[in-house]
Amino acid sequence: MTCAECRELVGELIDGTLAPDRRADVQAHVGVCAACRSLEEDFAAIRRAAAGLERPAPPDGLWMQIAGRIKSDPAFKGRTAARPPSWTMGARWLAAAATLVVVVVALAWMVFRGQGPGGGQEQPGRQAPPATRQSDVASGGDAQLVESVESELRLAEGHYEKAIAGLEKIAKANERTLDPQVAATLQKNLTVIDQAIAESRAALGSQPESRPAQESLFEALRRKVSLLQDTIVLMNEMRKGDQAGAARIVEGLNKS
Amino acid sequence: MARCLGGDVSAFEELYRQHAARLYSLACRMLGNRSDAEDLLQDIFLLAYRKLDHFRGESTLATWLYRLAMNVCLDHLRSRAARMGQVTDSLDDDGRGIRAPAGSDSPPDRALVRLDLERGIAALPEGCRAAFLLHDVEGLEHHEIATILGIAEGTSKSQVHKARMKLRAFFRRTPSRTATGA
Ligand SMILES: [Zn+2]
Repeated sequence: MTCAECRELVGELIDGTLAPDRRADVQAHVGVCAACRSLEEDFAAIRRAAAGLERPAPPDGLWMQIAGRIKSDPAFKGRTAARPPSWTMGARWLAAAATLVVVVVALAWMVFRGQGPGGGQEQPGRQAPPATRQSDVASGGDAQLVESVESELRLAEGHYEKAIAGLEKIAKANERTLDPQVAATLQKNLTVIDQAIAESRAALGSQPESRPAQESLFEALRRKVSLLQDTIVLMNEMRKGDQAGAARIVEGLNKS
Repeated sequence: MARCLGGDVSAFEELYRQHAARLYSLACRMLGNRSDAEDLLQDIFLLAYRKLDHFRGESTLATWLYRLAMNVCLDHLRSRAARMGQVTDSLDDDGRGIRAPAGSDSPPDRALVRLDLERGIAALPEGCRAAFLLHDVEGLEHHEIATILGIAEGTSKSQVHKARMKLRAFFRRTPSRTATGA
């Protein structure tokens, strides 16, 4: 084997992808040729160093920004409109409510992280119960789910209310970071949603078994949570001075 | 997957949690800076969300996402090069054009080797940088890289070889800080 041939194959030797007979040829050459041996060692060292490179983690708030863009995307609206109503509504809302608790904790951490010891002491996320308990409930058997759907709906509603309270607290503590015009838009949207919540509650009061009334209550609660989440992400962007990020979120808020 | 297609954002969040770190570090190294990588990671996942119903399962979801991410990164690099009037793929095979790290008398040091490797990778032409990152950093196989980059398997092999040769030349300029120290 010539050095030129060996140079072409030495990479596959260290990758372990050579056929056995070729491998023996290359190894034999490397055994007697210092130049090719040095190439093999360097390639192996580069491969080792490359495999050991650190993997930088994406910033924590990035998912919230992506989620905000997804929610204002036509593809999202098309998919949610096409979603058929499901008899397992209770379980679905409960699962959604359970993940909210995690979201509230993450948002609280994100917002209060940069604020020094004063801001750090108040952590609204702490009031959230551990998420494991709710997922245990959500993963029960089907028959059991049907029977307990009503109590789960109540439980889910409780989680939503807790999440909303936590989010409102974070938003309240940071309200000065927002532009007054944006704050007014947010307030207007919140008022509309609160009205929808009040109407759904009234409807449920007279017809507690009504599936449409239950659905519209949860839909309104979900919208409120989503708006509060966007608000907090927006506050965070404003504080970081990320005008482009903030502008995208405001755009999304106006569409919702 | 079905839940994502049903408009379930929390299901899509699971997909993000599984793949974001890999795609983000790939984008950081393809683009050479974190702030562009953050912007493009958003674009990549928004695009993935939109195109999810085009995913046919012929490749793994990870490969599909890598392909999408690479296309977004390469498009970005090309438009950046066009804006700046640069030709990014102009380095010769002898490694000319890669600026070697500053000389140092200190003994080989892992952190320095890593830093030099990052610099060397950043200076590679984008074609062999992509293949090298996928193969030696991400640990993918040539047939997967061929799918991701839309090239032949043989091309993937030769691009990785070319990248290693350039990186070796890059390290050889400063004998006190060779890659063999790692
Ligand atoms: Zn030789």
